[in-house]
Amino acid sequence: MDTATFRRELEAWLDANTQELTPPYEGAGTMDEQLAHYSHVKRALYDADFGRYGWPESVNGLGGSPLLRAIVGEEINLRGLADPSPWTMIEVLAPTVIDFARPEIAASLVPPFIRGDEMWCQGFSEPDAGSDLASISCRADKTDGGWVVSGQKIWTSFIQYAQRCVLLVRTGEPGSAHRGITALLVDVDSPGVSYSPIETMHGRHDFAEVHYDEVFVPDERLIGEEDGGWQVAMDILPYERSTTFWHRGALLHRRFSDLVAQMAASGDRSDTAAKALGQAFQSLVAFRCRSRDTQHRLAGGQQLGVETSIDKILITSAELELFEAARDLLGGVVEFDDDLDAAMWRTDYLYSKAAPIYGGTAEIQRNIVARRLLDLGPES
Amino acid sequence: MSELIEADDLALLATGFEAAMAEAPAPGEADQALFDLGWAELLDAASSQGSATAFSALGKTNSAACLLDDVVAQALGTAVSPDTCVVFPSPHQATAPAQRRGDTVVIDGLVSARLERANTAALAVENGDGAVATAVDAALLHVTAAKGVDPGHAYRRLSVEIAADALTPLATSGTWEAAVAAAHSALAHQLLGGARWMLAEARQHAIDRVQFGRAVASFQAIRHKLAESLVLIEGAESVAQGCLHDPDPLLAALAKSLAGQAALTTATHAQQVLAGIGFTAEHQFHRWMKRTLVIDTLFGSASSLPIEIGNRLLSQDSAPRLIQL
Repeated sequence: MDTATFRRELEAWLDANTQELTPPYEGAGTMDEQLAHYSHVKRALYDADFGRYGWPESVNGLGGSPLLRAIVGEEINLRGLADPSPWTMIEVLAPTVIDFARPEIAASLVPPFIRGDEMWCQGFSEPDAGSDLASISCRADKTDGGWVVSGQKIWTSFIQYAQRCVLLVRTGEPGSAHRGITALLVDVDSPGVSYSPIETMHGRHDFAEVHYDEVFVPDERLIGEEDGGWQVAMDILPYERSTTFWHRGALLHRRFSDLVAQMAASGDRSDTAAKALGQAFQSLVAFRCRSRDTQHRLAGGQQLGVETSIDKILITSAELELFEAARDLLGGVVEFDDDLDAAMWRTDYLYSKAAPIYGGTAEIQRNIVARRLLDLGPES
Repeated sequence: MSELIEADDLALLATGFEAAMAEAPAPGEADQALFDLGWAELLDAASSQGSATAFSALGKTNSAACLLDDVVAQALGTAVSPDTCVVFPSPHQATAPAQRRGDTVVIDGLVSARLERANTAALAVENGDGAVATAVDAALLHVTAAKGVDPGHAYRRLSVEIAADALTPLATSGTWEAAVAAAHSALAHQLLGGARWMLAEARQHAIDRVQFGRAVASFQAIRHKLAESLVLIEGAESVAQGCLHDPDPLLAALAKSLAGQAALTTATHAQQVLAGIGFTAEHQFHRWMKRTLVIDTLFGSASSLPIEIGNRLLSQDSAPRLIQL
């Protein structure tokens, strides 16, 4: 199906089902409410087929370009029908699991994930392996019919709602860096998995510290090759930087439009206000145009790589600028007010501070641009 | 605005333009060389692609060729010829450069060196309910000689009052808004061409220059300045490329503003990386840096355009998505 027809049909369906799809809670809602509604929206999309386009038939999808998935998330986020964060996990993890897991595992486990019946999480970072991901130490040792995993992970988002976790473990010698890493698909309810949520500064329990104490993972849950986990992790990167960014960009666009509407209603037509809005908008548009090029390269079958660090820096800058503009222009709303609207601005403002940290810090991205795109040679 | 020209042909054109610009340093010669290469026919057949190619080459070579006259004339729907020039808006503005006051027309704007050879000037006059295109005898437009920051460049101020009956209204197919959009898009490509040249110079210097026993390119402070420049250039480039498929005036204004921001930031970072030599007249850097200052002011700058864009959004109460997948 071509993208324009798909978008038209999707918009018509969303218009017809707005009431059914609108969150039942006011404001941002609690995490429980958000996740429950997110699953509800995903299931409705799946059952109406829109949520099945862009996924291969091997996982019960209806095929078609990944652009269709980008469009679904964009329309949902523009209308504010579901929070994009849990959705991120699908776009980040499912394509790689489809590519690297055993076909029968992908065929049985991925459909409930993309239908929103299940939540998955991503166990990559560790207390001593943040930006330096290749230094992870959570171990997996071979045993009869599988592996035994022991170690600690951190920043594992949504594990309290998750059934499965894509986990990176050390299978080589301790100093084997990216060569001795393996990816496993672990059931979160396996004996030996325990977690304690970490409260963020915007008052949520988005992520957790997770302990793996002699957790058994069967052979068939290997993703890719033994000691081939780095390749799996690198395969994830382009997905994290394409569809997911497009979805988040749509959320930022909606919040920017909210800000424009509030400023228009306030009657403030000062040059200061106009300039702050104009600058925030141009950063959003720079990201959007760059990201569109990236989506089309992905849809055209091109291999995405380090150049997506530019997309990452652009969306990070756009997000920071947008919510700094909101803080400046709304005159104390972020700092002092407690109504639902103010709480949303405060949450978004505070959450924007995570943008230059997660998914590879702003500094790491600049290092990559310098080394790989500008070819400046090694750092001293 | 369909894509009429294949990428390979565009690359050939770009090479031809760059060679012509490099060989003909004076504005008049450069213009003529480009007309000889088929510049007018290219504008007619594929205006946005053609001007993007030519203006990228202008930025890269820092040529003083006056091609903006042709881009604006074409979008206004008036004749494109080496004998026709255009009056541009005042620095940092994108409004029509002339206002009708009774029997007089007050002109406050900029002209290129094309004026010296032109018989006719195209002049957009604001007459209360929009800008109308007129033609005026180029001999009536007296320009005070001024060197400015970039004496090699083509633009200078024009401030003059002439009798209203000296203007001939032009029955044109274009609008001032379309002319501004065409100028924005072309100038964005020029700014980015120049920014890429400055970044390449700074990059090479960082690799060659050794201090404390190692190339200064190995220091993170320098790497990050260059990385930030590239990110801004690529972001603006995607928007400028987007203008080739979509003639939306707002998108073009955004492209010009972003390209100005990218070029100005790259100039600052590149000069810091070049350090001492980048402050001298011996190094070529200063020519590109000064040209960037001039081009940034044309048809609204990185500092004035965001205000205009913000006001446009406020008057619409919302932000358009502009581009679709």
